[in-house]
Formats: sequence, structure tokens, C-alpha cells
Amino acid sequence: MRDIRYKSLYFRLLVLAVLVLIPPVIVVSFLAVTNLEAGLEPELQIKARTVAEELSIPFNKALAGGIPIDKLVGVEDFLAPILKGNQEFLYLCLYDVAGKRLYSVGVVPASLDKDLVEAGKLTTGGSVTVDDDFDYSIPLHAKSVAEGTLHVGIEGDYIAGKIRAILLDVGVLTIVFFLIASEILLYVVSLNVSGPLQQIVRLLKRFAKGDFTEQAGVSGLDEVGRFTKRLNRTVRMVDDLYRKLVAYVEEIRLGHFDAQVIADVHAVEDRVKFLYRFSAKGAPNVSVHRHALDIRLALFLFTFAEELSRSFLPLYVQSLPNSMTWLSTEMTMAVPIASFMAMVALFSPWSGAIAQRLGSRTVFLMGLAPAVFGFFLSGIAQNSVHLLIGRVSCGLGYAMVTMACQVYISSTARDESRTQSLGVFVGAVLTASVCGAGLGGILAEWVGFRSVFLLSAVLVLVSGLLARRLIDQRKSARQVRDLPLKERLSLLRNWRFTVLVLFAAIPSKIAVTGVTFFLAPLYLWTIGYGYADIARVVMLYAVLVVILSPMVSKLADRTGWRLGLVVTGGLIGSAGLLAPAFGGGELPVVISMVCLGLGNGLAASPQLALIPDLCWIECRTIGQSAILGEVRRLERIGSTLGPILAALLVPTLGYGLAIAGLGAGLFLMSVIFLLASFRFGTGIHIATEEALE
Amino acid sequence: MISRLIATVLACVILSGQAMADSHPQKPFRIYMALWRGWEDAAQGFKDYFISQRIPVEFIIRNADQDERKLKEFVEEAKQMKPDLVFTWGTSVSLGMLGSGLTPDPAQFITDIPAVFAVVSQPTKTGLVPDFSSSGRNITGTTYLVPMPTQISLIQSYRPLHKLGMIYNPQEKNSLLTIEEINALTGKMDFTLVAEPVDIIDNHPDAASIAAKVEDMRKAGVDFLYIPPDTFMNLNRDVLTTVCLEKGIPTFAAAENPVLTSKAMFGGVYRYYTVGQMTAYKAAQILQKNVNPKDISVDAPKRLSIILNMPVVRQLGLYPPMKVLQLAEIIDTSSGP
Repeated sequence: MRDIRYKSLYFRLLVLAVLVLIPPVIVVSFLAVTNLEAGLEPELQIKARTVAEELSIPFNKALAGGIPIDKLVGVEDFLAPILKGNQEFLYLCLYDVAGKRLYSVGVVPASLDKDLVEAGKLTTGGSVTVDDDFDYSIPLHAKSVAEGTLHVGIEGDYIAGKIRAILLDVGVLTIVFFLIASEILLYVVSLNVSGPLQQIVRLLKRFAKGDFTEQAGVSGLDEVGRFTKRLNRTVRMVDDLYRKLVAYVEEIRLGHFDAQVIADVHAVEDRVKFLYRFSAKGAPNVSVHRHALDIRLALFLFTFAEELSRSFLPLYVQSLPNSMTWLSTEMTMAVPIASFMAMVALFSPWSGAIAQRLGSRTVFLMGLAPAVFGFFLSGIAQNSVHLLIGRVSCGLGYAMVTMACQVYISSTARDESRTQSLGVFVGAVLTASVCGAGLGGILAEWVGFRSVFLLSAVLVLVSGLLARRLIDQRKSARQVRDLPLKERLSLLRNWRFTVLVLFAAIPSKIAVTGVTFFLAPLYLWTIGYGYADIARVVMLYAVLVVILSPMVSKLADRTGWRLGLVVTGGLIGSAGLLAPAFGGGELPVVISMVCLGLGNGLAASPQLALIPDLCWIECRTIGQSAILGEVRRLERIGSTLGPILAALLVPTLGYGLAIAGLGAGLFLMSVIFLLASFRFGTGIHIATEEALE
Repeated sequence: MISRLIATVLACVILSGQAMADSHPQKPFRIYMALWRGWEDAAQGFKDYFISQRIPVEFIIRNADQDERKLKEFVEEAKQMKPDLVFTWGTSVSLGMLGSGLTPDPAQFITDIPAVFAVVSQPTKTGLVPDFSSSGRNITGTTYLVPMPTQISLIQSYRPLHKLGMIYNPQEKNSLLTIEEINALTGKMDFTLVAEPVDIIDNHPDAASIAAKVEDMRKAGVDFLYIPPDTFMNLNRDVLTTVCLEKGIPTFAAAENPVLTSKAMFGGVYRYYTVGQMTAYKAAQILQKNVNPKDISVDAPKRLSIILNMPVVRQLGLYPPMKVLQLAEIIDTSSGP
């Protein structure tokens, strides 16, 4: 079955939705920004004047008390909190009448001294524009003679910055809601239109071959449903005619005098039975066709709920009272992330096993309990231990729900290729990570961390409602067995597999959880970023992976160039993390995120696609999906280690350099993988499955 | 001798607004005011509160003029006059007229008339009241000293403090309590205290020894001299602060007088005027609303006054940081407004 997401009804609807939705967003944003720009500037100037007037009172008092203006004490200490409390202020400073700058806090533009002298404002005060910035000053005096001026500097870029932030928020929200809308649209189209149609196509193909054993199981009140009913009626009619024919033949066989006629009729019957097939049960069977896309929206909502807190989780821990005083501050922030990952790793095999035994729907619904409890507890946490328990509980829920979905998806893979159905899983999780990271930060800024967790709890419940309605309760026919320890060890004895896991798969996960979810948010926070700003940077990573992954997947399939992509991805990703070693501020972190996104986008799908090449013997003996499951399990070691390693580096290196430090280690591992990969192609192992067949 | 009882009612003020006098002809409350050093800011604040609140009162004002012997006469007089309330100024008057402990001797002290006290620096340590939350008897009042940790951190916000000097009268219990309080903070707030008593000659503190003590302080290299709320030092404040100024030692006063009327540089105090007003507020609760005095807690005004003696600051050339200056009240007698 072809992927329906392109050149389909869904795709056309999506384009339509974009065309209808985006222009109004652009127009409204434009109008809002124009009004804001016009209104904000005079407001800022009024504020500068008010603050200057307020501040001049104690200075005038000091001058009146006979303190010479160049002998004032503690001026910087006095001004610093005021500068800090007003983000739009660039600096505050005092000049004497001769134009000498006596005291200043903040960054005073170098040309201000000259500009003030030229403008002749050193006794009168007033406003001066310096470069793009704006300086407002008022005179200070003991009696009537001015002794100096007090200056308030306003960042010209402040308004532009504010507007940029608003536009970025609008952009993020547009992307997020576009993705959410596309998920919902995909769900609606696949549930009501393309799913039933695919089933009908399948039935019609059977009819064409003379197979009338099945009728369609889904029906609705819409056009597709009515059509399906018609079709079923026709199948039943054909079936009925066949039964009547059989009965008639039987009647002739029993009662006819002429043996030749009986023989002829038998010949006809045999011919009919040879050409056409009918159900043996006396009526056409009702076929229920499972589709991997059925589960996608529920899975999307669940992982979206989990991803909402990703970009700010360490900051949330930081804000809570630490009751794990035996751990360092950084470790306290790392442990909740690591524990979540560890729980997912530990409980995934078990969840997969019970999903096969009890059915995906049951396990999905069971998994909601720890998830809802976990989000709720995280939302009301009073200290770091509460949050840790909440995260552990969420990890259990996440393992159960995602494994339930995987088992369901793999059980649907009857017609579709396994890779494509796995694509449904990966696609939902990745889209959720983009939406969650972006929206989570904005929501945290608007309504606070706690409300975001409570929203997650609600979203998880909604995903449960969807899953309850959607997932067919029948147990999976296909049993994917859990690997016994012996076979796992036999996998690790294949050095190519081990090298891939140790030097490519695990490092990339260390980078994701250690940097994207931990160091980057904390570093950006320390340099004064808000939650929404942080979320945007973190989202960069997810967006790149989402865009690149499917493209690279196709490229790798088409060219067979997998190893090279894994090597390149690993090198780019880890090298990018070195950026913060060369300078502070936002840009290096952005570079790191972009490189990591590029790297993981390039490497992620080829990593999995390499498995059949590297382990073709094991694929035959153990099964490819079991091996893929094993890779995912081993990868989670990296996810768990990431924040812990990062937290260990922070006390000595600080956040920025810790990113680079982690990057250096990972780069080394990528180089090792590169060197090892030269030997991948040698030896007897290279004989591929296809070559043997 | 001026230590004569000011016999007659000094002021019989019926303080009421016209409107009130017209519509509510009300018998004014009678308040017996016993003072220690004559009429000053606390008494003025006390009186002004009633004016501003338009509560009709009549004051019977007595000045002990720092003579404890007169207090007995005041007690007798008050018992005869049966005023609605007694106001006592300072530790000596309050203890002398109201006694200490929960059940003072009714023969010696005033017990049946409700009383408010003001400007008592250590009401609990002197036994006037057992606890700040309640006196447990028919009195309440207002303290006036800023909590010691606040005073020390105020000094530290002016300039780094390593050594704090203090000269005191060893015969005053007040001063000894102050030393105890400061010593409790030295470790935590990272400074040392150099305290020296004035010489005692013939069982009297000797004012002439002050200058030598200040010189000792200079030699010890103190960063600040702390002037305790000590009656003897208060009386000799001019000598003390002038010598300090000559020797370039900045001074911090725990009470307002050395800054306001002498040459102490800087003080962190509750102004007497405010203390008086707050005491009047408590008195009004008792008189108008019939609140039992023991249900009114003994406390100080909330608003700290930082006072800076600007001529002294200028002379020392030790200018205050802007943060202190911003909050401070400037006393600048020489340059005029």
C-alpha cells in the first residue's frame, strides 16, 4: 500500500487548510505589530523621563547636603537594581557639567560622551539619539545651578526585539498548530475516507480474482459508508446467488433421472468453485482491516503531552526547593530526566510483552494511570522529590503507551511494509516533539510550569479516549518475542552491531538528552533567556530532524548510502556541540542545536536501516524487528546517561563549556566509529542477504 | 532649684474640632502625663495624635526633671485625681510609678488606673512587662529602640565595619544590656566590639574621662563609635560627639538626640514624635474603645528613621552611600533649608 500522505485527498485538504489559515494570521500579526510599534515608543520615552525624575530626587538631596558630585558613594550599587529591573534600559549614568562621566551601570555607548558635548545637553538635560539608542537626561542640582546630569539610556533595539519575539511566538504557534491540524486531518481522512477506501480497493481486487469470501467491516453514515453498504449488499447478493446455485445443483444431483445432466451440472459447479471463492460459513466474513494510522493521533497526543515539559524541565526542577541535598544542584536537575529515560528503557520490554498478551488497547489504557498520576504530581510538586516521583511514574506510563502503539502498528503491517508502519510511529513522536517543545515554552511563559503539567494530564486522558474508540481490541496475531539474554549477547558478539550501538546510536542520544533537554535550556536561562526563547532554540533541533528524517530515509533507500550518512551525521552533530567553546551567548548554542538537528536527522533512519546489512545472520535467526527493538533499548542507555554526564561536567566547566565538553567526547566517539566503519566492508560478513538468494 | 513640682495644670487643653464640640458635647478624657525631662517630641507626638483624631482630652502635665524622688508624689497625686489614663515617659518614670512584675504593691504604685508608657528602651529586661505580647496587667506602651541587628546592618551599609567602639556608663543597666545584645551579634555579623566604661569617681560617672576614652577608641582603630541609649551619655552627648568629631571618628546613635541636637553623625531610630503618636493611638484604644491594656501588645513603630547630621558628615568627609542617603532624613542646621 502506498503512503497516502502525499498526492492524496489528505494532502489537498492540508494545502487548503494552509491557504485558508495562514493569510489571516499574517494580516492580523502585521496589524498588531504595527500598532504595538506605534504605541510602545512614546511609552518608553515617558518611562525614561519618569524614572529619571524619580532617581534625581536622592541625588539632588545628596548635592543639597553638600556632597560634591564627584564624591558620591555607592552610586553603582544604588543604580544597578533599577537597571536590572527594567529590561529596556541600556544604562544609567551620571555626568558632571564638564562632560565627564562619573558613574555608570550598564553598557554606555562609546560615542555618548562626544554626542552629549555636541548636543550641549550637559547642563540642561534632554534627549539625544545615540546610534540607534535613545538617551534621556535631566539636570542635577543642589540649589539652582546644575552640577551634572543623570542619564537613562533606552535600547533602540528593545522595541524591535519585543516585536521579533512576538513574531517568533506567532511563527512557532503557527507551525505547531499547523502540525496539530495536519495530525487531526490525517486522522479524520484516514478514519473516514482513505482507510475505508483502501479496504474497498482491497475487496474489489479480491472480487476481481473471484474471491467473495469477505465483506467490508467499516461503515458510516457518510458517502463512503453508504457506498460500503451498497458494496456489501452486492457481495451478499452474489453470495446468496451462489448458495442458491449450490442448492439447485444439490437438488438436481439428488433428484434428476439423467446421469448426464447430473454430470454436466457438477461440471458447472466445479467450474464455478474453481473460478470463484465463497465463504464456507454461509455468509461473507466481515473483514476488519487494521491500519497503522488509526493509532497515530492517540499516540501523537500522548507524546505531545510528554514533550510539552521537555524544554523547561530542568528549569522547573531548579525553581523547586531541593530536598535531595546530597546531590549537587546540577545532578538534582539531571536526575528527573535520566530517571524518566531509565524507566522507559526498563519497562519497554515488559510493556511490549503484556501488550501482546493483553492487547494493545488494554495496555494503552493501563499506561494512562501512571502517566496522569505522574503529570499531576509533577504539576503540584512542592520539592524535587515529588517531581522525581512524578517523572518516574510518567516514564512507566510512556513505556506502556508507546509499546502498546508499537505492538499495534507492527500487527497492522500486513500489507504495508514494516518500515513504513514504523514510520507512522516515528512520525507521530517526532511531530509531537516539535509541537511540544515549541508550545510548552510559550505556555510556560503564559500560564506557568504547573499549569502545563496539568494540561499534559488532560491531553493524556484525551489520547486515552481516542485509543479506546480506535484500537481494535483483538490481540495481535503476530507475536514479536522478547529476546532472551543469550540471543542478546550473541548480537553484541557481532562487532559491527556493537560498534554501531556504542559509537553511533548511544552518543547521539547522549547529545539529545544531555544538551537539547538539559544543558542548552539551562545555559540559555543563565544568559537571560525566557522560556519561550529557550523553547524556540530547542525546537530548532526537532524541526530539523522532522524535516530531514523522511528525506534522508528515502535517499538512503535509493542510494544504499547508509554507513556514510551515519558517520557524517555523527561527526556534524558532535562537532556542532563544540561551538560554545569558541564564545558565549546565544549564537554558539543555536549552532549546536542546528548541527545536532542536522546530524541526528542524517543519521537516525540510516542507523536503523543499517541493521539488515550489518546483522543479516541475526536478522534471519532472531528477526529484524527484535533486533531493532534491541537497538532502541540500548539507545536508551544513552538517553539516561546524557543528563547525568552533563551534570557531572557542569561544576567544573559551567553550562556553556559543558556542552563543548560533551561534544568533544562525542566527537571522539564519532571518529572511532568512522575508523571502525572502514573495516565494516571487509571480511566474509559483507555477503548480503540478497547476494545469497 | 528648678526641681520643684510644677504645681498647677500646665495645660488644660480641650482638643476638639468645632463640629464635634457642637454636635457631641462630650466630657474630655483626663490624662495624667508624667515626664522625666520636660516637654519634648514624644509628648508632642502624643498630644498631636489626639488633636488630629479630634479626641477631646485634658492633660495634667508633671515634670520630674530627672529626680526620682518626685515620682512618689506623682503617684499620690494621680491616685487622688483619678484621671482616665496615666502616661509615663521613660524607664525611670515608668518603673517608679507603675512598678515592675505582674502584681506591684498597690500602696506604692498606680495599679487601678490604666497606664501607657513611652520611650522605655528595655521594657522586658527591666521587668516593667513580662512579655512584649502582653503586660498581663493594667498597662501597655511603646518601646523606641530599633532592633540591634537592624542597627548593626545599618552601620555596615554605611561603611565596612570591623571594629565597633562604645563608651558607656557602667552604672546604667541599659548600657550593660546593650553590650550584651551587641556581643551576641559580633560573630554572626563579623565585627568586634571595643566597649569601655567611663571612670567612676565617688560612685558617680565622670564626664571628664570621656575625652580620654575617645582617644582610646581612636587608638584601637574603631570604624564607628556606637552611642548607646544611655542617660549619662545622652546628657554628655556634646562632649562625646565633639571629641569624636575632632578625632575623626564617625558616630552612630541609637537614639535621636545625639544626632538631632548634637554632633553625632548618623542614627537609626524611631523618632520620639512617632513613638508619642503610637502611644497615643494605644491610649485612644483604651479610652474610646475600652480595650483592656493587657490586650494591647508592647511594640515599636514600624517605620525606621535614618537620620544624617550633614554638617558632621561634611566635616568628616565620610559621605553616605546613595542607598542610605536615599532613605535618610537630612539634618542640616548650618546650611539652612
